[in-house]
Amino acid sequence: MKDLKHLIYFESLLENADNDLVKQAQADGKLAIGYTCFHIPEVILNCDKCFSVRLRAPNTGSIDIATYYMSNYTCEFARALVERGIEGGYQFLDAMIGVDACSMMNRAMEHFEILGVSEKPGFFVTHTDMPYKITDYTLKSYVKQMRLRVLDRLTEVYGVDTSDAAIRKAVEEHNEVCRIISEISEMRKADNPVITGYEFHVLNLVTYTCPKYLILPKLRETLAELKKRKPDAVSPFRARVAIVGSEMDDPNLTKLIENCGALVVSDRYCFGSTPGREVIELRDDEDALTQICLHCMEVSECARYIADEKVLQRRETADRLAKEFKAEGIIYEQMKYCDYWGFERALVSHIMHDEYGWPVLSIDRLYNNGNSGQLRTRVQAFVESLEIKRIHSEEGK
Amino acid sequence: MAKKKVQYPNPDFWKYKDNMQLKPQMDNLKEVGGIFWEMLKETDWKKFGQDRIEDFKSDGARIKEEFAAFMGASNAEKIDLILHGEKHLGRLYRKGAMATVRREWRGIEDTAYDFWRWAKMWGMLLMTFSHDLIPALNMLFYYRWMVSYFCCHTFLDKNIMGLRGSNLRMSHLLIYDVFRYVAENLVFLAKCDEKNGNSRALNRKVVLFDEMTMGQIMAGFPDLLGIPYQLLPVFLVSEIDQLTCVPYIDAVESYGLPADTCPVPSSECGALVIDALPHMGSCFISSSMPCDGSTMASSYMSRRFPDLPVFHLCFPVRYLDEETVDMGAEDIKACIKFIEEQTGAKWSWDAYFEAMKRFNKETDYELQKWEVNKSAYPQLLGPCYELFRKWNYEMDGGNDPRILGTCEKVNKILLKAYENKEEPYPGKMKYRAIVWSCPAHYYANFSNWAANCWGINVLVEMESLNFTKHLETEDKEEALRDLARLYERMVMRRHTNGGYQNVVDELWLQCEQWNAPFIIMYQNVACKNMATVQGILDDQGRQRGYDMVWVEHDLMDPRTVSRRTMRDKVNSYMRTVKRAEPIDASLVEFEDEVCM
Repeated sequence: MKDLKHLIYFESLLENADNDLVKQAQADGKLAIGYTCFHIPEVILNCDKCFSVRLRAPNTGSIDIATYYMSNYTCEFARALVERGIEGGYQFLDAMIGVDACSMMNRAMEHFEILGVSEKPGFFVTHTDMPYKITDYTLKSYVKQMRLRVLDRLTEVYGVDTSDAAIRKAVEEHNEVCRIISEISEMRKADNPVITGYEFHVLNLVTYTCPKYLILPKLRETLAELKKRKPDAVSPFRARVAIVGSEMDDPNLTKLIENCGALVVSDRYCFGSTPGREVIELRDDEDALTQICLHCMEVSECARYIADEKVLQRRETADRLAKEFKAEGIIYEQMKYCDYWGFERALVSHIMHDEYGWPVLSIDRLYNNGNSGQLRTRVQAFVESLEIKRIHSEEGK
Repeated sequence: MAKKKVQYPNPDFWKYKDNMQLKPQMDNLKEVGGIFWEMLKETDWKKFGQDRIEDFKSDGARIKEEFAAFMGASNAEKIDLILHGEKHLGRLYRKGAMATVRREWRGIEDTAYDFWRWAKMWGMLLMTFSHDLIPALNMLFYYRWMVSYFCCHTFLDKNIMGLRGSNLRMSHLLIYDVFRYVAENLVFLAKCDEKNGNSRALNRKVVLFDEMTMGQIMAGFPDLLGIPYQLLPVFLVSEIDQLTCVPYIDAVESYGLPADTCPVPSSECGALVIDALPHMGSCFISSSMPCDGSTMASSYMSRRFPDLPVFHLCFPVRYLDEETVDMGAEDIKACIKFIEEQTGAKWSWDAYFEAMKRFNKETDYELQKWEVNKSAYPQLLGPCYELFRKWNYEMDGGNDPRILGTCEKVNKILLKAYENKEEPYPGKMKYRAIVWSCPAHYYANFSNWAANCWGINVLVEMESLNFTKHLETEDKEEALRDLARLYERMVMRRHTNGGYQNVVDELWLQCEQWNAPFIIMYQNVACKNMATVQGILDDQGRQRGYDMVWVEHDLMDPRTVSRRTMRDKVNSYMRTVKRAEPIDASLVEFEDEVCM
């Protein structure tokens, strides 16, 4: 296929958290609000003069200092963020919205606070409490947390307009991004898609890490380009896989999988498009914040949600996506040392195989895996097993 | 009219009829018999005989050595030994032995007292098991963890090693209540288990609780029986016998669970994988507490027992934020409603308030203990007290009226001992210490060992320092909010959740309050909540000039860090940093890999 016109530009935006568009927005007088977790509704961080930056630590090398503070058997994503923070990589942030959803991420945010990773005037770290299940009272508490610990803080410190009208305006812009990404995502359902998993991963990631108003023109252009793009006559991939699991913000991992011959057609992981790029439909008869919070709770696929219906939802979603996107197998991945996904992956990788009938590859991985030979071997073996299954199926065995 | 005396546990629970099915029992006995027969056949009897001869020789040599030491002592030393007990406790251990070689000599009076309590404990155990002896004994043939409970007296001996005088007496009184609770609940487990007693009537009354979920909510249901489901088959038994959970951990890791997760939820999930938990109860109260791993263990439970109705009791993590309390209170309300629906029982505010008044009094007694231990003359130290505190706060929670009597007795002894300026470990107090982080106390009998070997007296540990506010006993809405506050501050969660201040700043505060500049920092190698503050603790501890000894452990998995390795961390610190000499050199190096 012909290269996407803006792919290299998009890739360059992922080289640093403090990318060119972030700098440009700050030069426009906007405030950069960092966050890491889907539990914080991204859209409310884009009210008025704020823009959200979902934090990554691209090109992470040594994490020795963070390891001193957080030990060597904790989530590498959390440690990489602390390391980058100590190095000064997040000095551009105006606020950090912490979430006490998993202990290691919470501690990472606390280290931002304790070690003073930003000297910017006004910079603050706030911590929020997250529900484990969906009920009327957990929703009420969630809304209260978002209002008191996030929106009111932004208003107090920076005078941000967080009114219902401002939130609704942010939702409009957010929804346009979601519509574009969803439309591109749908293209992956084709037998011979016009977009690879890697390209989609890059595109989706820039929507999380760049100011929406600055990235939208390029996204619109890319959508138009994709509509006209011609796929290769014969797909170079040997199998189609869906990925399900924990935090994954490294497109090189997707590239590694695709280089082994498995086209990644679905991305059900933190920083992926499911959940995250669903359009938020707002009604006029209820305040926007409550509707957004409920939306986030309902579409969340976080393993932290403990209630039976959410446990089942996660399995059903994985099954549905794999079917809709015509995957032949599912890769369950887990960031090493992630407790939530450690337990979830171990159990559900069996269930998806035994009860839903999916071939499953179950892996735990480091934060940066683009060059992992071990992982490459495992994916190659999985691709071969999928091919053998297909051959057997064609032969009617 | 005289108030009706509350009986605990409800006497009806003992009376419910069992519905044992004979054929499955016979089949199981046949299978177990086959296993025993195989073991007998595979035993190398020659080696067994040689080992016994070696033991005999070793006993002879030890007796000879002890006799020679006694005869070589001065008259004053002999009198001291007879009256106040022995001082070289390392002698009690023998390489490869599962128990100590003999009981400790504590001096005439204390040994006599200890023996009397030992006999009383046996009496209580026999009486309790005799309530329903057959299912209780039958559990031996289903669950390997039950076998470990037969070593409970060894556990007791270990936990009172080196104790004398009032501290010994208080420890015995406190641990007795814990043992009684365990014995009673073991009988209930046996009666309820579908494979075993299968008492349908009792099962209708039983509400199961997730790991470490507090028992106070059951105070409002005096006609029901709340059982902390995994406590006896997994958590507590591993404190008696550290090797019990190893097969569970192996099973779940073979299943695919990463080895870096906390051994507590891992063991629980492993026990489910190999069907080592009884099938019982009318419903299950799962919980998001105390940490991420525990939260996730719930789905393994649902997988194993899909027909058991579950309520997920989920409390806010940022518990210092009072804005979150309403959510916790609402969840408790929903939980009460769930229990009512599942069991048909009705919540009783009167019963709840009565129990919480007891709990408040018990808290007052606890605070009195703290005041004494903060002073220059601490009195109640050691694992029995530490274990009692946790159990009383977490599992009993005012439900059992018998406990208040124990607290009264203990505090009477405590105050008298304080007036007399007694020493809990006579002649062995050199350092005032605090234990922080997830405890490994009982696996290594650590606080007793530290006191007996190096004179490090552990005045208090992190997990004792929980919620001490009196719970509301009149206003119903506020009572629910208080209960939420209490649950949010459950053992361990109180410190490891809700912000680093609760574990970092709190430590420095407690060090000051207890005048304890020596910190034993237990580092559970799988506890992410604690691992993620290790650098901050280290930095700030150093700035404050405290002695901090980091002792790694892996709770019920001694293969990762053995008890000996744990002790070596303290030995090295004492020798190299403190340049100290041990009080009892026989305890510096000894082998207890398989000793319970």
